[in-house]
Amino acid sequence: MAEDTLLADDLLRQLMGVGEVDLLVGISSHGNPDTTAHALGAIARSFQQQFPRQRTVIVDVRGGDKSEGDAEAAGLGNVAEKTVRLAEAASLRTAHRVTADFTVQPSAGMALRTILAAADLLQARACAVVSPATTNLAPDWIANLLRPVYQEKFDFVAPLYIRHKFQGLLARNLLYPMSRAVFGCGIRELYSDEWGFSGRLASVCLNQDVWHEDHVGTRPEAWMAISAISSDFRCCQTFLGQKLQPATASATDIVEIFRQTVGNLFWCMESQQSAWLDGERSKAVQTFGQDHELTSEPTDLDRHRIFEMFRSGVTELEPILSTILDPETHAEIKSMVSLGLDNFSFRTGLWVRTVYDFAASYHHAVINRDHLVQALAPLYRGVTLSFLIEHSDSSSAEMETVSEGLCLEFERQMPYLREKWKAKVEVKS
Amino acid sequence: MKETILRGLEQAYRNLVQMVADFLPRLLVMLIIIALGFVVAFVFKYLLRAVLGLTKLDQVSEEAGASRILRIAHLPSMTVLLSRSIFWVTWFAFILIGFSVLGVAGLQGQISRLFQFLPEVFIAILILFLGVMVANFLSRTALLAAVNAGHPAPKLLSWSIRFVIWILAISMTLEELGVAKQTVISAFSIIFGALMLGLAIAFGLGGQDLARRALERYLGNAKKEKDKEPQPL
Repeated sequence: MAEDTLLADDLLRQLMGVGEVDLLVGISSHGNPDTTAHALGAIARSFQQQFPRQRTVIVDVRGGDKSEGDAEAAGLGNVAEKTVRLAEAASLRTAHRVTADFTVQPSAGMALRTILAAADLLQARACAVVSPATTNLAPDWIANLLRPVYQEKFDFVAPLYIRHKFQGLLARNLLYPMSRAVFGCGIRELYSDEWGFSGRLASVCLNQDVWHEDHVGTRPEAWMAISAISSDFRCCQTFLGQKLQPATASATDIVEIFRQTVGNLFWCMESQQSAWLDGERSKAVQTFGQDHELTSEPTDLDRHRIFEMFRSGVTELEPILSTILDPETHAEIKSMVSLGLDNFSFRTGLWVRTVYDFAASYHHAVINRDHLVQALAPLYRGVTLSFLIEHSDSSSAEMETVSEGLCLEFERQMPYLREKWKAKVEVKS
Repeated sequence: MKETILRGLEQAYRNLVQMVADFLPRLLVMLIIIALGFVVAFVFKYLLRAVLGLTKLDQVSEEAGASRILRIAHLPSMTVLLSRSIFWVTWFAFILIGFSVLGVAGLQGQISRLFQFLPEVFIAILILFLGVMVANFLSRTALLAAVNAGHPAPKLLSWSIRFVIWILAISMTLEELGVAKQTVISAFSIIFGALMLGLAIAFGLGGQDLARRALERYLGNAKKEKDKEPQPL
C-alpha cells in the first residue's frame, strides 16, 4: 500500500490510535498561527454542531523550520487541545486531531497526498480540505463540504463563493467554460482552497502515478476534480459564502497564476485525453445552496494600462504568437491592436479559437510549454478589457447570460480543438 | 649590361607564363570539382531527405522528444537538419579535394592537418549549437517576462541577453578552435566589461527615477499596482 512508505512512523502511530472514522478534514497549517487557530476552531465547532454522532478526525499537515515551528506549535498545541476538547465535549463519538510534521513545508500536492493516505488508512467516508489562509472559514462551510459526500453519496464537492463581478475573470472566461466544454462537467471553481471528496475517490487518486508531476504538486485540487469527472465519479457544487484572504497575503503575479491554472488545465487535458478526445460528454452538476453570487462595489481598475499591456504583448510577441496561433486567428488579433480603447472588443469566437490553438500547441509542444502558457497572458488581458468595457453596467443576470453564451461557444468549437489536437505538428523547412 | 637585364626579364616572363599555363588548368579542375561537388551534395541532400521522409524520422524524433529541443532552439526538423548537414559535409569534402589539386606547396599537409582538426571542429559546432539554443531560450524567457511585467522595452532586453550569450558562445567556439585565443578572450572581456559598465553608468546616472519607481512599485506600493488589474481567480 502507498501509505506504508508515504506516512512517517509518528503519523502512522497516531492514525493507528484513531481507528476508523466517518469524517476527516485536512488542513495544511503552515503560516499565520492566528488564521490556523481560527480554521481549527471552525472545524471543531462544525464537528460539534453538525456531526455530533460521527467519528471525526482533523489531519493537520505542518512543515518548516523546527525551531520556528516549535513556537508556533506551542500556540497551536493549546488551540488543538481546546479544539479536540471542544469537539469531544459535545460529540457522542470520538474526535481526534493528528499532526503530520515535515522538516520543510510540503507542497500542496504532498500535503494532499498525506491527507489522502490518512483518509485511506482510516477508511474515512467523507473528507474535506480547507485552507487556513481563508480568514472567515465558518463551521457551516465544513458542513457544506462534507454533507453532500456523507449524506448524498457524492464523490467530489467544489465550492461556490460570493465574488465581485470583476473578480475571477480567468475562471469565468477560460477555466470554467473550457473545462466544461472539454470534460463535460461544469464546475465553476476548479481551482479553490476548499473542497470535499469521498473516501472512494481518495483511494483512487492516491494510487495514481502522478504525484511527482509539478502540476499536481502546485494545484492538486483541479487534477482531483478532473480525475473525478473523467472517471465518472459523482460531482457537485456547494455554496459557501464570501471568501476573505488575510490582508498580509501577497497577491500572486499573473504569470504564476497562468502557470498554476492554465498550464495545469492544459496538462490535465493531455493526461486525460482518452476521456474527451473521441467522444462528447455532458453531465449536469447539482448545486447545493444558492448559485454563485456577484457583488458590484466600485473598483480601481486601470483600463488604459490593461489595453497598453495587451497591445505591447501582441506586438512584441508576434514571432511567438505566429508559431502558436492559426494564421487567420493571429491576423485578426493583430488587427485589434489598431482599435481604440472606446471601441475595443475581443470577439467570443476569436477568443475560443485562440485558447484552442494554445491548447493544441501545448499538446504538440511547438515551443517550450512554460513559454507558451506565458504568451497567453497578454491575450487574456485583451479579453479582460473587453469584458470590463462590455459589463461596466451589466447586472448579474446579464453577465450570466453572456457567460453561458461563452460556454456554448466553447462547446460549439470542440470539433476545431479535436482536429487541431490530432493534427500532426507542422515541420519547418 | 642591357642585354643581361633583358634576358633576365625575358626569363622571368617565360617562367610566369609557364606557371600560369601550369596553374590555370589546375584551377579549372578545382572549380569543376567544386561545382561537381555542389551538384553531388545537392543530390545527396535531396536523396537523404527523401529516404528520411520514407523512414518517418521526424515522427520518431517527435516521439523521442528530440524535435521539441530543436524547436526550442529555433532549428528545423531532424530530416531538414540532417539533409542540410550532409550537403555541407559533402561539399566541404569536394572543396578540400579541389584545393589539393592545385598542388600548392604545403597545402596537402594543411589539408591532412585539417582532417586531424575535425574533432575540435565538432566540439566547436556543439558549443555553438548549445549557445544558440540557450540564447534563444533565455531571450524568449526575458521577452515574455518583460512583456507580462509591462517593461517599456522588452525586445531590447531580450536582444541584449541574446547578444551577450552569442558573444560568449562565439568566443568559446573560437577558443576551442584555437583561433587567436588571447585576442578572443581579451576582446570578450573588453566587450562584456564595457557593456556592464555602460549599463551600470546608464542606470546609475540616467535611471535614478526609474530605479526609484521600480523599488517603490515592488516594495512599497505593490498592492496598489496590482489592484489596477482584476484578480484572475
